[in-house]
Amino acid sequence: MIADIGYLTLLTAFFCAVYAVVAAAYGARSGDDRWVRSARNALIATFPLLLLAAGLVITALLTGDFSIAYVSQVSSRGMPTYLKVTALWGGQAGSLLFWNVLLSAFTAAAMLSKWRQQKELMPYVIIVSGMTQVFFLLVSTFLEDPFTRNLVIPADGNGLNPLLRHPGMIIHPPMLYLGFVGFTIPFSFAMAALMSNQMSDNWIHTTRRWTLVAWLFLGLGLILGGRWAYDVLGWGGYWGWDPVENASFMPWLAGTAFLHSVMIQEKMRMFKMWNMFLVVLTYCLVILGTFVVRSGVISSVHAFAQSAIGPFFFGFIVIMFTFSAYWITKRRDSLRSENALASYLSREAAFLYNNFLIIAILGVVFLFTYYPILSELFTGEKGFVGPPVYERALAPLFAALVLLMGVAPLTMWYRTSIQRLGRAVLWPAVGSTAFVVVLFILGVRLWPALLGFWLVSFSAVLTILEFTKGTRARMRKGESPWTAFTTLMARNRRRYGGYWIHMGVLIMAFGIVADGIYQSETQIRLQAGESITLGDFEMRFNSVSRFPGADDLLITKADVDLFKNGKLVRTLTPQIELYQRTGQPMTIPSARSTITEDFYVILVNWEPTTADAATFRIFLNPLINWIWTGGLVFVMGTLIAAWPEREKVPVRARRPAAAVAGD
Amino acid sequence: MADVSWQNTDGSLALEKPRRNRLMFAVGGIVLISAVIFLVINAMSGNTQLYKTVDEYYAEQGRLAGRDLRVSGWVVDGTVVYTQIDAHNSRLEFDIVDDLANPGRSLHVVALNEPKPDLLQGQAQALVEGRGDANGVFMANPGGLMLKCPTRYEEMDPAGHPDSVPTS
Repeated sequence: MIADIGYLTLLTAFFCAVYAVVAAAYGARSGDDRWVRSARNALIATFPLLLLAAGLVITALLTGDFSIAYVSQVSSRGMPTYLKVTALWGGQAGSLLFWNVLLSAFTAAAMLSKWRQQKELMPYVIIVSGMTQVFFLLVSTFLEDPFTRNLVIPADGNGLNPLLRHPGMIIHPPMLYLGFVGFTIPFSFAMAALMSNQMSDNWIHTTRRWTLVAWLFLGLGLILGGRWAYDVLGWGGYWGWDPVENASFMPWLAGTAFLHSVMIQEKMRMFKMWNMFLVVLTYCLVILGTFVVRSGVISSVHAFAQSAIGPFFFGFIVIMFTFSAYWITKRRDSLRSENALASYLSREAAFLYNNFLIIAILGVVFLFTYYPILSELFTGEKGFVGPPVYERALAPLFAALVLLMGVAPLTMWYRTSIQRLGRAVLWPAVGSTAFVVVLFILGVRLWPALLGFWLVSFSAVLTILEFTKGTRARMRKGESPWTAFTTLMARNRRRYGGYWIHMGVLIMAFGIVADGIYQSETQIRLQAGESITLGDFEMRFNSVSRFPGADDLLITKADVDLFKNGKLVRTLTPQIELYQRTGQPMTIPSARSTITEDFYVILVNWEPTTADAATFRIFLNPLINWIWTGGLVFVMGTLIAAWPEREKVPVRARRPAAAVAGD
Repeated sequence: MADVSWQNTDGSLALEKPRRNRLMFAVGGIVLISAVIFLVINAMSGNTQLYKTVDEYYAEQGRLAGRDLRVSGWVVDGTVVYTQIDAHNSRLEFDIVDDLANPGRSLHVVALNEPKPDLLQGQAQALVEGRGDANGVFMANPGGLMLKCPTRYEEMDPAGHPDSVPTS
């Protein structure tokens, strides 16, 4: 019953989306508004329909309806209720349906909120976003139907992979999906602007907040994925340059370049073609990422179904890319810049360098991710690029980006004099050099670490100075420091939100440099009562106990005392949980986490026959919590930048009088 | 891009400046792109691995001996053995084949001082980075042991990747 209603709902949503595209195209061509309104209603209707379909899958998961294949694949009777609900995105068919729900929610919200303001663009927005929806519904309805029945109904399901039973992994996929589908909206508006030949910056103002929100979700998804890897996977790290991770990182990079580059279009009417290209690139990378991780064309440690949907995704990317390229070419005359770069030391040039660096990083990540395919194509032998190669190639580019993050806000539109820039950076450079000298005296001797800390602290000081300069200017008008600071941010959310984002990234960068260079690890077998020393820490192994847990779990828990400089600071309990029915063990790390370092320990091995000896692997991760703290600041900054404010007419940069006279 | 950046009283000057700038940016761009290409080539030279299946490895064993490889295969049931040699040393070994239903030659993998990954079980898919030695043993690099999920979790989605992981 659920399966029948569910499939019918999906099918109806699919036909609604197809109708919306056809009716909008006809309405746009004939100029008959009734067709466009009808198309809008059809596209909005996909949202409640898909919500119903997702509700039916969740009902089937909650009631344990194992007649549905998807339910038996990802859930079991013993699973807690919240995991049954989140199992909606625990497998391929369900996650695609969930993707569809979010996409329809975004498009419906865009239709409802922007209908009156953007009436001319709307028929085309419906066509483009509708095409995306049709494609994903085609996959969900005909290739990965979540309502497919089992031929033989099993007594119980497989259950959700134990590795996914973590809060980070419950929130991480929806965040990534929100980011992914969110980028469909700016892409649709950009294409609509091209198709309707309304080549003002209108589409950028309309979609700025959508882009920021999509970018925020994607960034949050990446951070949560890293946190999950650190908490659950027990290898002491958070990022492995795996193709699946890169597939999410690349659209985020393209989105970052776009968010910076649109500012030049708004202020200077430049880079219009480039912005169109970036929005198309971001969208195509979203679809390409989905294609790559679900098709199996690139070897990844991440498991995914090697199903037949890969060629469909590839076909869709080719269609959408050709479609975008056609419209950009057709409108190339309207996309010409109205200004040219006047100086290599100017705000717009700084944005250009920023875009160059981000796209260079994206290009390198792209090349390395697809190296197995490319090398096979050109040399006949499949090659692979590991994390050390990524790090070696990307570190200088990231370093330059960090430097630019601090210096770029000091530049002015049109041109900045080198003397002025020199004066602005002198004292921050002296201050960060002094900081690095102190670090050197304290024992930091590796030059990559010293250089990394110098760059990060230099840019951080410059960013903080931006806040203090703005606050002081307001204080001169008689405001109290706190009022001046908060008003500054409230009045110019985009700018100061951006600076907060920079601060978040710099805090993360500090942690990444420290952990990347100074992480230490060791593996040792200890007898009860024995100790091991790592850095300032001493870990003493006390005992191991084994007992049954919830569901079918068998828990093996070690008890260790952690001393710092001879003083007991914490008792840690690394454990191994065994899901007995499936035979799947899960190593649960235990960590003493502070702002200066994490002492992270996993129980590697314990044999009941040698009850008083166990093997541990220990990681000392300096400043790793700066990464998560920076992540929080990054989120806060994005919220500040995206927070709604009264619509303002964008102020274009004025060319300074001196420049006019001087040239 | 437009030739003039703004309307100037002296049109010739306004035209001249962007042209000179364009040349400057073009040269700068070429230098920067060359720098990125250099970074990529420098990072990759001698550091890429060849990706082989077990059968491909055996077909070219002579040529591949001692080279850094990434070999994929399926773990044979009952071959996973973890031995704690002494306080500081452990040895993890298992066999992989290309096809469990139709196993050809199996490759014996040995990883020293590596924890046993949670997903290392019979019928799991393994990716091992390392080198083959003269005795036909494939020695995994530190942290070079990665596993995909066993088939029962094959339908996991990419973002919710049920993975397996580098072990260090």
